[in-house]
Amino acid sequence: MSEKKRRAGSDAAGPASSSKRPRASSAASYAESLRSKLRPDASILASLRSLASASSSKSRTAAKSLAEQDPSDPASSYIVVADQDSTSVTSRINRLVLAAARSILSGRGFSFAVPSRAASNQVYLPNLDRIVLLRRESARPFSSVATARKATVTARVLSLVHAVLRRGIHVTKRDLFYTDVKLFGDQSQSDAVLDDVSCMLGCTRSSLHVVASEKGVVVGRLVFADDGDRIDCTRMGVGGKAIPPNIDRVSGIESDALFILLVEKDAAFMRLAEDRFYNRFPCIILTAKGQPDVATRLFLRRLKVELKLPVLALVDSDPYGLKILSVYMCGSKNMSYDSANLTTPDIKWLGVRPSDLDKYRVPEQCRLPMTDHDIKVGKELLEEDFVKQNEGWVKELETMLRTRQKAEIQALSSFGFQYLTEVYLPLKLQQEDWI
Amino acid sequence: MDTAGDAATGGGGAVPGETKKKPPTAAAKGKSTGKGKASPKASPADKESSLLKQKSPAEFFAENKNIAGFDNPGKSLYTTMRELVENALDSAESISELPDIEITIEEITKSKFNTMIGLVDRERVDEALYDDFESAKAREKRLAKEARFQETQAKNASLGKKVKDAPAFRGKGRGEAAFFKVTCKDNGRGMPHDDIPNMLGRVLSGTKYGLRQTRGKFGLGAKMALIWSKMSTGLPIEIKSSMKGQNYISFCRLDIDIHKNVPHVHLHEKRENKNQWHGAEIQVIIEGNWATHRSKILHYMRQMAVITPYAQFLFRFLSDAADKNLTIRFARRTDIMPPVPLQTKHHPSAVDILLIKRLIAETTKQNLLQFLQHEFVNISKLHAERLIGEMGPDFSPKMTVKSLTSQQLVRIHQLFRQAKFDDPSGNCLSPAGEYNLRLGIIKELHPDMVATHASSPQVFEGHPFIVEAGISMGGKDVKQGLNIFRFANRIPLLFEQGADVITRTALKRINWSSYKINQQQDKIGVFVSIVSTKIPFKGTGKEYIGDDITEISSAVKSALKQCCLQLKSKIVKKLQARERQDRKRNLNRYIPDVARAIMETLVEIADDSPPKRPRYDKEDEELLEKVNSQEVTDKTFRDCLMQHVEQVDYEMALDYAMQSGVSEEPREAIYLNSLEGSYKFVDLQGPVFIFRFIP
Repeated sequence: MSEKKRRAGSDAAGPASSSKRPRASSAASYAESLRSKLRPDASILASLRSLASASSSKSRTAAKSLAEQDPSDPASSYIVVADQDSTSVTSRINRLVLAAARSILSGRGFSFAVPSRAASNQVYLPNLDRIVLLRRESARPFSSVATARKATVTARVLSLVHAVLRRGIHVTKRDLFYTDVKLFGDQSQSDAVLDDVSCMLGCTRSSLHVVASEKGVVVGRLVFADDGDRIDCTRMGVGGKAIPPNIDRVSGIESDALFILLVEKDAAFMRLAEDRFYNRFPCIILTAKGQPDVATRLFLRRLKVELKLPVLALVDSDPYGLKILSVYMCGSKNMSYDSANLTTPDIKWLGVRPSDLDKYRVPEQCRLPMTDHDIKVGKELLEEDFVKQNEGWVKELETMLRTRQKAEIQALSSFGFQYLTEVYLPLKLQQEDWI
Repeated sequence: MDTAGDAATGGGGAVPGETKKKPPTAAAKGKSTGKGKASPKASPADKESSLLKQKSPAEFFAENKNIAGFDNPGKSLYTTMRELVENALDSAESISELPDIEITIEEITKSKFNTMIGLVDRERVDEALYDDFESAKAREKRLAKEARFQETQAKNASLGKKVKDAPAFRGKGRGEAAFFKVTCKDNGRGMPHDDIPNMLGRVLSGTKYGLRQTRGKFGLGAKMALIWSKMSTGLPIEIKSSMKGQNYISFCRLDIDIHKNVPHVHLHEKRENKNQWHGAEIQVIIEGNWATHRSKILHYMRQMAVITPYAQFLFRFLSDAADKNLTIRFARRTDIMPPVPLQTKHHPSAVDILLIKRLIAETTKQNLLQFLQHEFVNISKLHAERLIGEMGPDFSPKMTVKSLTSQQLVRIHQLFRQAKFDDPSGNCLSPAGEYNLRLGIIKELHPDMVATHASSPQVFEGHPFIVEAGISMGGKDVKQGLNIFRFANRIPLLFEQGADVITRTALKRINWSSYKINQQQDKIGVFVSIVSTKIPFKGTGKEYIGDDITEISSAVKSALKQCCLQLKSKIVKKLQARERQDRKRNLNRYIPDVARAIMETLVEIADDSPPKRPRYDKEDEELLEKVNSQEVTDKTFRDCLMQHVEQVDYEMALDYAMQSGVSEEPREAIYLNSLEGSYKFVDLQGPVFIFRFIP
């Protein structure tokens, strides 16, 4: 490991020093001058350690407060699903199918009571700090033309899930779709009904043994077992280890990291992995390559709960970066019924923040004007409760809307490709510049 | 209408005034630039005399025949036919007779035409002299092109592609002129024997002047056709006519002296009237073009049949080629005729100074008070007195109306413009009638659905107008999208559709989709009929109504909207009915999937041995037993579901019937054409009717 560290260091020194000379612009020289502000890594690490310990003590109390609220009264008015073993899920399906069968045989057709997952039915609860699904069910009778198709698809998905559970295997959503393409027609339909079934049965989607294909990647100071195989995430090359779509396969999580770094995009993730950023500052780096999928969110939550590490986020300085952050923290509307298991509260926004653009003198040509749609999304975000809760975020968002400028993480590459890993992030960590 | 009015006013002669000079100079100009022969004949002194006003109209229209719709031979054939048809309709309606009109267009070949005029057919001697002569080079080129075409044709045929028709290789040049004999026979009033030459041989000397709703565009009628025949063939026009109760038929062969605007009678005699026939038959031989205007003529006939369902038309086209011959009968569908439009007096807000002058010249009333009271609508005696008081001190009710000075006329005109008058009533109008419009649409289009609406009379610049609209859905010979049928004063408008107020309203201002009508896919027939004492035509041809008159465009829009509203409820009902029919099929489609899904799971549950699987309640256990013993199978579920769908469908049908009621459509009276003549028949007696069988 020390070899790598040294190699990374020497590599880093080379291009950085050479890139200093040709660039004569004041912005570039200012950016380079920031490099001198950096204190030795040891002192930065010390501050990180204090953050980690603070986080572990805090998260214990935070977890407690959640535990107090979860099973409490709201359960009657909100739908909260839980992980369940396959036997109990099977028996729930059995009961539904038997009821439907008897109803058909008595000549009454059949109908399913499906919780409504319409957008109007999703609410943000400030005290839980996440989006939850209100309990409101709608009937899905076979005898109505409007719902006949959905009722059929629901029956089919129930039977498929039943078969999967009985054989004790896992399938992907794509597998499920292809078992009856003719009926489902479009994967979005079978996916939607699968979420409906989760709600009906009151279990998480992973309890149905149906998973999405792999999307997220992790790299860094993390060791865990994937279906029994030991995985060392420091030895995963530059590409990283794909986050297992089935969180049940993950066990024995160990780490000596001081924090978790959540990255919005693949490009920035690759830079961090190649520069072995996690060796200079012990951390776990993780990305979902854009909008986070269920597996990545589950994995992040699992890491946070088990390792009690602070989570720092590196996203683009635009409304979508913040939107992605919100999904990690409060959940998405589509999966609101499972928000308890999918959300990771208390993520710190490290960068790239709108205020950084001026602070680091990001050149004008690397900033983009916000489109009308961007501004609309930004204004909507200002109204969101989860943003309002954090004063710092409101200020940043207001700055963004005022300047009408956005920038991607890659904007920092204008100071050199490795500026992100060598100057920007260390300096941010040193200054404890997160909100 | 207004051109005729101008000419008549200009020729009024008795009224002195500055305005008089204008029309003669315009006419003189046209004459000097046009035919060379005309100018030497007309001496300067004639210009001031009454001769000029009779002479100029025929010449003016001969030189500007496009104004009257004689732009080219094809259009001329069309216009000739329609002028004759419209005259025939007016004639029959004026004596409240159900119109029965026969139109025959007979193609006359060149050689036949030549023999008719006594010209010997001559072979071409010097081929190169002719415009359509083909030089050797051109022929080579053409043959090569034809060969190439044939080659590709053969290739396509071998590949099984659709073979295109060979393009017609037409020689360049003007081509052969085609001649047609147009005959129109009606059962109308007929013409008094002695008046025939003047009625047909003198332009702008009609019987239809005055303020009223008329079909004709200029009052030119058959006279313009006569001018055209004179110009293109030189052959005279033949008229047969008889009036009711007349024991002879007048026969007249005449043409027109264009320069003098006087009839030139070849033959004028009385013939025997054996069948008590009354009406008129006019026969004219003109140059025309059937190929280019065939569809327009047929459209015209069809649309005329829509707007006059009480008339019977027989249309025939005859030619040497038997396959081109056509006979179409448009049957009578009702015997209710709209009333004859009444002549009305002018509305004060619609007159100009010239018109006031003319009215004064023509009036029999002595003093101003009586003049105002009797020569205009909506001016009562009291009102007239107040108006005169408002005109100023130099006006008095008792002053002689003919002594008014020009300045005083202007003052009267100004007051007419500013004062408030009641709107004219629409009593003088004769709309087609909502009922007739509806019948006409049903008769000619056989639509699936139809809605009609008649608006109340409205006013535009002192002229009352009524808008009637109909919308049909589906039908035969209707293309997808909007099919617009425009009528003005109960005649179809076929040309210059694009800028018309009706077209524009239907295309732009009606949101069809909000009435569940698909503007692209559905076969929509839009019928709008506007009647008025003055139709505000635009353009020289008077073939369309401008889109710039808010009163008319909003009336058209609201009438169409009313029709759409009526249709919407019908369409919604229809959609519901269709949905009901589809629902069974839709539901049945999913039954196998459901049965399979449920059965698969049940088998799996039943497969698990009892100790392993959790206990269920008694009924569930029984069910699982039956699954194991194969008493309940895939088929059982399918049958049960099928039954369920059947039952739900039945219940829905009951619900539907209760909501929509039993009778879906209002019943419409059928019209049976009465038989002509007497027949021998056998009576079959029924309890409530007699069935007469004609063997």
